Amino acid sequence: MKPFAYTCLLLAFLLFACKKTVILPLNAVPPQIVIQGEVTDRPGPYSVNINQTINFYADNIFPPVPGAVVRLSDNLGNTDSLTETSPGVYTTHTLQGARGNTYTLSVSVNNKQYNATSVMPEPVMLDSVGFESITAFGQRRISAITYFQDPAGTQNYYQFKEYINGELFTKDAFVFDDRLSDGKYISNTLRMDSSYLNPGDQIKVSMYCIDKNVYNYLFQLQQSSGGGAFNTTASPADPESNISGGAYGYFSAHTEQSKNVVVY
Amino acid sequence: MQPKRLLLPLSVLLFPVLASAQLRHSVSGTVRDQRSGETLIGASIFLLGQPNSGVLSNAYGFYSVSAIAGNYKLLVSFTGYTSDTLEISLSRNFELPVNLVPEESQLQEVVVTADKNNNVSRPLTGVQKLSTSEMKYLPVLFGEKDILKTIQLLPGVQSGGDGNSGFYVRGGSIDQNLILLDEAAVYNPSHLLGFFSTFNSDAIKDVTLYKGAIPAEYGGRLSSVLDVKMNDGNDKEYHASGGIGLISSRLNVEGPIEKDNGSFIVSARRTYADLFLKLSKDSNTNRSSLYFYDINAKANYKLGKKDRIFLSGYFGNDHLGLGNTFGIQYGNTTATLRWNHIFNSRLFSNSSLIYSKYNYDISITSGNNDIGINSYIQDYHFKEDMTFYAGSAGKVNFGLDLIDHNTSPGVISASQNSSFNALSLQEKHALENAAYISHDVSLSDRININYGLRANLFTTLGPGNFYTYDAAGNTIDTASYRSGRAVKNYFNLEPRFSMSYKLTGSSSVKLAYVRTTQNLHLLSNSTSANPTDIWIPSSNNVKPETADQVSAGYYRNFRENKYEFSAEVYYRDMQNQIDYKDGAELRANENVESQLIFGTGRAYGLELFVKKKIGKFNGWISYTLSRTERQFSGVNRGSWFPANQDRTHNLSVVGIYKINKKWTLSADFVYYSGNAVTWPSGKYEVNGQVAFLYQDRNAYRMPSYNRLDFSATLQGKKTRRFDSNWNFSIYNLYGRENPYSITFQQDPGDPSKTQAIQYALFRWVPSITYNFKF
Repeated sequence: MKPFAYTCLLLAFLLFACKKTVILPLNAVPPQIVIQGEVTDRPGPYSVNINQTINFYADNIFPPVPGAVVRLSDNLGNTDSLTETSPGVYTTHTLQGARGNTYTLSVSVNNKQYNATSVMPEPVMLDSVGFESITAFGQRRISAITYFQDPAGTQNYYQFKEYINGELFTKDAFVFDDRLSDGKYISNTLRMDSSYLNPGDQIKVSMYCIDKNVYNYLFQLQQSSGGGAFNTTASPADPESNISGGAYGYFSAHTEQSKNVVVY
Repeated sequence: MQPKRLLLPLSVLLFPVLASAQLRHSVSGTVRDQRSGETLIGASIFLLGQPNSGVLSNAYGFYSVSAIAGNYKLLVSFTGYTSDTLEISLSRNFELPVNLVPEESQLQEVVVTADKNNNVSRPLTGVQKLSTSEMKYLPVLFGEKDILKTIQLLPGVQSGGDGNSGFYVRGGSIDQNLILLDEAAVYNPSHLLGFFSTFNSDAIKDVTLYKGAIPAEYGGRLSSVLDVKMNDGNDKEYHASGGIGLISSRLNVEGPIEKDNGSFIVSARRTYADLFLKLSKDSNTNRSSLYFYDINAKANYKLGKKDRIFLSGYFGNDHLGLGNTFGIQYGNTTATLRWNHIFNSRLFSNSSLIYSKYNYDISITSGNNDIGINSYIQDYHFKEDMTFYAGSAGKVNFGLDLIDHNTSPGVISASQNSSFNALSLQEKHALENAAYISHDVSLSDRININYGLRANLFTTLGPGNFYTYDAAGNTIDTASYRSGRAVKNYFNLEPRFSMSYKLTGSSSVKLAYVRTTQNLHLLSNSTSANPTDIWIPSSNNVKPETADQVSAGYYRNFRENKYEFSAEVYYRDMQNQIDYKDGAELRANENVESQLIFGTGRAYGLELFVKKKIGKFNGWISYTLSRTERQFSGVNRGSWFPANQDRTHNLSVVGIYKINKKWTLSADFVYYSGNAVTWPSGKYEVNGQVAFLYQDRNAYRMPSYNRLDFSATLQGKKTRRFDSNWNFSIYNLYGRENPYSITFQQDPGDPSKTQAIQYALFRWVPSITYNFKF
């Protein structure tokens, strides 16, 4: 309901809303393990990042967790022991991701064991990328639109990422599921609340086909990521991870399609 | 105790003739305003020297008192009106219409619609009455008098946020208030996302809020009943009145259909806040819309001495749109056809046919996508209420409530080349039937009691598929039902009891117990009132919500009833409360019931209230100390946690000072401590973004809130034909930035930091309204 949020914004604008930064007495939390790993249908190596949570008001430097034993395996019996290539970053050697396979991640660190499983779905072709422009509050807002054909009869889950000059531009988990769109030709707008594209920007748009658990994780992440002044989720919570053992983060086996385009 | 009197309701029901066979006679009739013919609700009528003979006129102004044959003085009083004493000779049953003359003194402006110490003697706890004239001088946001915002200044009632007409009563949720407009349930009582209520105060005669002892005639919601009754219209002469404000205007026309026999009233409002948008240069903004209008209309006609019919209706519509890309329209429609029949001087009946609907329509245009989404809830309702006046044996109310609920949770229409499939979520159909009886009686000069029972049967009906889910929310069984087949029945008995014990002539203690149930549940997972929130009926997965409340209070009037004081305590236990799984998908979801979790709730508190009712300076102070908690097995490891609306302290101070004939000043001050909220404590990096780490639900508190509003009313020259006033007001006089919401984000100026952003609305909102009447 993004348009609805816009309308609320419009109303707030009329109602003389004012906005300021406040310092809140937020509790300190003991550091927790955060694991993010992925396997794609692109050639490896793939990597798994392990680091720690920090307090809300700390600088965004997330301490890496070195010295973990990390393994990735598939349902065909291939296993890869990952090497720590830089602090907290563990990289595969031989494993090759392929559609339809089930991947299992196992991490052993500080005498604790974390496991996760993800199934790489069948790929869906990203057809093309277009743009739309909306002018509101005197500001022109350009958003990218992704076009693709959703396969009928299967449940499909998608994740999108936008990069400008190689740098990740999406600060939000862009996910889409075909629950209400099964078998349709989809035009999905990657609409952002605060930052916009400019004509001439070189961008890369990636579309991942993800499994249901990863979709649920990212959907919940999106729901509890703050949002606008109105219409915020009443009870934000940590998303349900597909990693067992109590770690934050997720493990995703997905296909990847990308397009490089110039914003017009 | 006198068991004979307690047994009476059965005997009066079965043998009404027996009860009147004693050598008692009754006098009955309707109490009206002499000038306008408007019936007066809650006027006090009693026979002098007969302590237990008193009654209050009912919702249609009807009264009936009885005594053994003899000569009596009948005293009729209603605050704001000159009391009347009528000499009567009771030798048979007879009819006596009573017309009271409004007082022209300064008292008139501060009408308290109750007898001088009814608050002490009536057995009900937790009842608050408001008249629209009480609200006349109060400063309000945008200069628009609003009953839903005024009741938030009363003890036990919490506002849903700055300028919000949503309210919470004694720990209940917003959807646990039964809001009635001429008996029709109003499903979304707000306009413009809650900043205005659906109630146009021009059209309203009487507002009663029941938060403690809810009489047996009301049912269907857990925590309170807000019973709003519309004006009937002047049946003597034509009048028009209205108001012109900065962002809204209203007009009210009333007059006789046939003099003294029937009248009509039509009230309409329209806001034009969005005119400012037209000034904008960019096409998306100046083609945006943001307004609402509503119309209240009512007519009544007397068909002879014993019958009267009323037809009343409400229609409201909100339009919110952003250029051509997004639009939503929503609103309530209600209609009530009523027939009052006086069987005899002791038996009054009202039969009502009621229709109520709330619907919304969304249209979205984006790229190839042309999508429409609509949803509604619609009721057909028959209600029969009878009152039997049994003289010194009190008053018996009994009746039936038959409601047919239909909801369409969502229909999506989509153009052929859009990204979405057309979809119709299964319509839901249910019957909510209830029967009730209650008895009001004085057991002695000191003890008044009201006890009753409401029996209610809720039936979820086919057609449709009804699903069974496992703990993870996967469908494990689907049962198909044909049209009209009962899927699930829920039968509930709701006992209601309250009593008052008079300590002295001006003080009393009261005690009440009520059980309530609720079979319609509003699904909402956002912080603000959202027009797209949907109502779902109880089903095979969703059990009726139930609540038991015990309340007790001490009431005292001082200085010849000039001051009124009350202290009440309450404890409420709630079962089958509904919440959502983390990441619940409530939008267009056929399996929405799989997204719900069920738990319990409890609420308790202390409410203090002092009111100065008459004089040049009047007003009230209201204070509530309360706690509201919920318990769900999947939340906070199953321990009790504060509910979103949990607020420890709530204080309101209201003062109205009439300086002279021309000027009246008023002010209100509101303070409350912060609601329980869920804030992040930490953060981590995932998916290339900074994600927030949350700990326990509702473990933090919003900052406290305070605000002072001020208003001045200048009365224009008053003639017989024309009356006008100017109202100047400032909402939030000292411009405090009260937090409306707090959100968390990455610092746009420094990506290495995260920050909390506080949004505040409404600093120094001035308004001017010109009101007229002729």
